[in-house]
Amino acid sequence: MKKSKLVIFILILITFNFTSCSSQDVQTPTKDEIVHQEDVADDDFDDFEEEMEVKEIYDPFMSYNRSMTNFNDGLYENFFKPVNKGYLAITNSEVRVSINNFFKNIYFPMRFFNNILQGKFHYAFEETGRFVVNSTAGCLGFFDPAKSKMKLMPHNEDFGQTLGFYGVGPGPHIVIPLFGPSNMRDAISFFPDAAVSPIDYTDRDWPTLTKTWFELIAVKSVEKFNEVSLYSTEYEEIRKDAVDLYPYLRDLYEQKRAKEIEE
Amino acid sequence: MNLRRLFIKILLVTCMFTFSTNLFANEQEDLKAHFLEELSDIIKIIEDKQLSKDRRNSKIVAELTPMFDFKLMAKLSLGKRTWLKLSKENQKKFVTSYVERMKNSYSSKIDSYENEEIKITDVKRKKSRISLETEIATAEKNLKVVYKFYKPKKRKKDKDIWLIYDVEIIGISILKADKAQFKEFLRTKSINDLMKALAKKQTT
Repeated sequence: MKKSKLVIFILILITFNFTSCSSQDVQTPTKDEIVHQEDVADDDFDDFEEEMEVKEIYDPFMSYNRSMTNFNDGLYENFFKPVNKGYLAITNSEVRVSINNFFKNIYFPMRFFNNILQGKFHYAFEETGRFVVNSTAGCLGFFDPAKSKMKLMPHNEDFGQTLGFYGVGPGPHIVIPLFGPSNMRDAISFFPDAAVSPIDYTDRDWPTLTKTWFELIAVKSVEKFNEVSLYSTEYEEIRKDAVDLYPYLRDLYEQKRAKEIEE
Repeated sequence: MNLRRLFIKILLVTCMFTFSTNLFANEQEDLKAHFLEELSDIIKIIEDKQLSKDRRNSKIVAELTPMFDFKLMAKLSLGKRTWLKLSKENQKKFVTSYVERMKNSYSSKIDSYENEEIKITDVKRKKSRISLETEIATAEKNLKVVYKFYKPKKRKKDKDIWLIYDVEIIGISILKADKAQFKEFLRTKSINDLMKALAKKQTT
C-alpha cells in the first residue's frame, strides 16, 4: 500500500510539473532572464546546425555558368521583360492561366510514365483521370475542372525526378541558354521526356501537335512567353533577394529539385 | 486489493498521457489561432486603401516583428563558424542590415501579391518545432509556403512564445538559400562588402 501511495504521489508531482511548465511559458520573463538569454544565445546554433546545413553544390563549370546566367538575365531584361509587358496588356489573367493549363494537360504522357517508373501507380491513375476529365469537360485542357470540381490533384513528375528517385545524383550544375539553371541529370532527362512529348515534328506513331520545326518553335515560344508572364514577378523578387544572382539561382534550383525528388 | 491498486496506477498513467498529449495539441491549436489572428490583422491593413504604401508596409512589418526571430535568422544565415569570427560590433551591424533587408524583401512581396487568399493546410510538430503549412492562392497560381516555428528555452522580450526562424516557399528554405549565397559571397569578399550589398538591395 505504501508503495502505491508513493507512485501516486510521484505521478501527481509529474502532472503538476507539466502544468507549471505550461503556465511558465505564458509569463513574461524578468529582465534578468532576458539578459541571461542574450548571453547564452550562441547555444541556439547547436540546435539548428544540422537542420541548416547547406550542401556544397558540385560546380566545375562555374565560370561558364556565371556568364550564361548573365546572358539569360540580359535576355530577360532586354527581351522577355518588354515583350511580357505587351503580352500582359493584351491578355487577361484567365487567358494566361488557361494557356498554362492547356500545356500542362498535353504533357500528361510525361507525368504518367514517370509516375509509373517510380511505382507511384495511384498517382499515375489520378493523372489519367485528370487528363480524361480536362481534355473533355475542360475543353481540350484549357480549364481544370478535375482539380476544382473533382479534387483530382496533379502529380508532376519528370525523368530527372525518376532518376533522382533511384538514387542518381544531380551531377554538375549547368545553366542552359534560355531555360536557366539545370544540372547534368536533369539536362539529360530532357531527351526521354521530349520523346513522349506531344509537341514534336518528327515521325511518331501517334498524332503530334506540330508538323514542322517552324511550328514547333512557334508553339514552344507561346509556351515560353506564357510561362514568363506567370513567373516574372517571382523572378524579379529573386533578383532583389540575391546578393549575387548566379549562386543564388543555382542554390534555389538545386534545393527545389531535391525537395521534388524527396516527395 | 492488488487489482485495485493496479487499476489506479493504470488510470493515472493514462490520465497523464492524455493530459500531456493534450498539452501538445493545445499548443499547436493556439499557435494556429494566433497565426490566423495576425493574418486577419494584416489583411485589414492591406485592405485599408487610405494608407500610403510606405505607411502600410511599415505597419505590416510592425505586426510581423513579434512573430519572427530575425536575430536568430541573421545568425543562422552566416553559420556558426563565420558568426563567431565576427567582432561584436560587426555582429550587431550584420544583424541590423540583415533584418532591414528581410523587412524590405517582405514589403516588396506584399506589394506584388495583392488579392491573395491564404489558408492553413497542415500543422506538424516535431519536438520543439512546429511547421505551419499554408497555401497562398492568387488568381494565377497556388504557392505553398511553410512557416517554421521554434520555441526558445526562455521567452524573448517583445516576442511571441513560438517564433518563426525560417520560411519555406515551394520547398525552398529562404534561410538555407541565404546561407548558401552568403557563403559563396564571402569566399571572395569581406563581411563589409556583404553588408554593403545587402544595403544596396534595399534602395533599388
